[in-house]
Amino acid sequence: MTVTLALQLAIAGISVGSIYALVALAIVIPFKASGVFNFAQGEIVTFGAYAALILTQLALPYPVVFVGVLLIGVVGGMLIERTLIRPIVKAPEFTLIIATFAIGLLIKGALALRFGDSPASLDGPFGTDPLLFAGLRFNPTAIWIFACTLLVTFAVLAFFRYTRLGKAMRAVSISPEAARLMGIKVETVYRWSWAISTAIGTVAGLLVAPLIGINPEIGQLILRGLLAAVIGGFTSIPGALIGGLAVGLIETFAGVIVGSTFKNLVPFLLLMLLLVVRPQGLFGVAAIKRV
Amino acid sequence: MSLRDVLPGMVVIAALAIFGAMVGSYPAYLVSLAMINIIAALGLNLLTGNSGQISLCHSSFMAIGAYGATLFTARYGLPFWISIPLAAAISALIGAALGFPARRLTGLYLALATLGFLQIVQLGIEEFADITGGVRGMKVPKPELLTGLRVSEYGIYLVVLGVCALAIWTARNILRSRIGRELNAIRLSPHAAQALGISVARVKLTAFALSAAFAGVAGGLMAVVVGFIDPVEFGVSASLRQITFIVVGGMGSVAGSVIGASVLSALPEVLRPVKEYSDIIYTLILLGFLLFVPRGLVTVWDRLVVLVRPAAPAIGPEERAR
Repeated sequence: MTVTLALQLAIAGISVGSIYALVALAIVIPFKASGVFNFAQGEIVTFGAYAALILTQLALPYPVVFVGVLLIGVVGGMLIERTLIRPIVKAPEFTLIIATFAIGLLIKGALALRFGDSPASLDGPFGTDPLLFAGLRFNPTAIWIFACTLLVTFAVLAFFRYTRLGKAMRAVSISPEAARLMGIKVETVYRWSWAISTAIGTVAGLLVAPLIGINPEIGQLILRGLLAAVIGGFTSIPGALIGGLAVGLIETFAGVIVGSTFKNLVPFLLLMLLLVVRPQGLFGVAAIKRV
Repeated sequence: MSLRDVLPGMVVIAALAIFGAMVGSYPAYLVSLAMINIIAALGLNLLTGNSGQISLCHSSFMAIGAYGATLFTARYGLPFWISIPLAAAISALIGAALGFPARRLTGLYLALATLGFLQIVQLGIEEFADITGGVRGMKVPKPELLTGLRVSEYGIYLVVLGVCALAIWTARNILRSRIGRELNAIRLSPHAAQALGISVARVKLTAFALSAAFAGVAGGLMAVVVGFIDPVEFGVSASLRQITFIVVGGMGSVAGSVIGASVLSALPEVLRPVKEYSDIIYTLILLGFLLFVPRGLVTVWDRLVVLVRPAAPAIGPEERAR
C-alpha cells in the first residue's frame, strides 16, 4: 500500500466516519441526560434526508434548507419526547429498548408510505468536482461533512460546559432527583436533550444524502453509529467523535486489507469483541454491572 | 399428568388435524406458519420472558435452523426429519456460544451484542453466496420421508402440528422443572439466585441454548413449509415481530407465547384490505401493549376468569410460571 493510497483511504474513512460520529453523538446525548438509548436514531437520519429532499425541491437555497432541517429536527425531537418517551422514561430497560425500536419502525413505515422505496438523490452545496491538493483528491462534500461534524461536536462540548441548560443536563445525568431538588426542571432537560439529538440526526441525514443517496435504508447507519458510541463509551462526547472516525477508518482500511467481501463483517465482529472485553468502551467509565 | 390435563390438548390437536384435511392448501399453510411462529415465540419467551435476557437475534437462530436444515437436505440428501433436528442442535450450540459472551452483559449491552450477532449472521448469509444463495435466496428441496418418498402437503402440516404440540409440552415442562425455576430466579434477582447457589452464568447459557434450539426447529420447519428462504426473512424486523408475539401474548408464560403468536399470525390476513398500513398497525400494536398492557393478553384472560369465577384464588404471574 503506497502512502498516497493510504492517505486517500484515510480521507475516505474520515468522511464516512464523520457521519457515524454524528449518529453516535445523537445517541449519546439523550442517553447521557435520561438513560434512554434511542434505537430510532437511524430512521431519524433517514427522515432528515427526506426532509432535506422536500425542502430542496421547493427551490430553497442550501442555507435555508439546512436551518429548516435543523428546526424540523428540534420540533420532531420535542414531539417524540413528549408523546412517546416521557410516559415510559421510568419503565424497565426492555420496554425502553423495544419502544425506541418501534418508534424507528413507525418513522420508517410512514416514510415508506409517502415516498415508496424508489431512491432519490440530493446535490451537495459545493458540487462534486474533487479538489486536488498535494496529489490527493478531496471530495468537497466530504470536507463539508467533516467540518460540520467538528463544529457540532465542539458546539455540544461548549454547550455542556458553559450554558445553563447544558450544566443542568449534566446535573440531571448524575442524579435526576438531586437536580430536581436544586430547582432544575428535569422535564425541560429531557425535552431539550431529545431536541438536540434529533436535530443532529436530521442534519446528519441532510449531510450524508449527497454522499450515499436517499433511500429508506439510510437508517442502517445506526449500526455503525452504535459501534462508534460503544467505542466512545456511550457517555463521552469526544468519545463519540473519535469512535465515529475510528469506525470509518477501520471499515475503509478493512475493505482493502481483507477484501470487500468481509469488509462489512469487521465492524460487527469488533462490536462483539469490544462488548465482551471492554463494554464500557475506550473512553467511558465502568457503568456496567457484572452479575 | 392426569387425563383432565391432557384431554383439552388432544381435542385441539385432533380438531386442527381435521381442519387441515378439510380446508384448502392456503388456509392450512397459514395455520402451519402460525404454529411455526408459536414454536419460535416459545423459545424467545423462555429467554426473554422467563430469564429476562433481551435478545434481538432470535430470527438469526431461525436462519441457522432454516439454512442448516436446507443445506443438509440439498447437499447430503438427508431427509427433513434428520436435517431439522441436526440444524436445531447446531443452532443450540451456537446459541450457547453466544451465551458465553452474553452472560456478562445485561440490558442495553446485551441488546447491542445480540444486534451485532444478527448483523453477522445476515452478512454471513449474504456474503457466502455460493453456499447460501446470498441475497437471492435459496430454493428448499421438497420434503422426503426417505429418498424418493415424497411427503404430501398435508403430511407436512401434520408434522408441524405434532412438533408444535411437542414444543408447547416441552416448554411447559421446562418451566415446571428445576431449570424453569432457575430461569425465573435469575430474572427476578440474579444476586439472590447466585446467593442460593444457582450459577447465573450457567443458567444464562442454558437459556440461550434452549431458545436457540426452539428457533432452530421453527426455522427448519419454515424452510420446508415455505419452500424458499432468503436472508430478508431473518432480519431485525423478524426478531421484533417475535418480540411482539411475546409482549402481546404475555411475557414468561407458555400460554402467552401461544396466544400472542396465534393472534398476530392472523393479523396480516385481517389487515389485507389495508395492506400498505399493516407494518405501521403492527408496530402500533407493539407500542400499545408495551405501554398499556405490559403483561399481555394472558392477564386479560385471567381478569375475565376472575370475573366469571370470583371465588377463584388470585394467582400472581410468578406463581403461574411454575
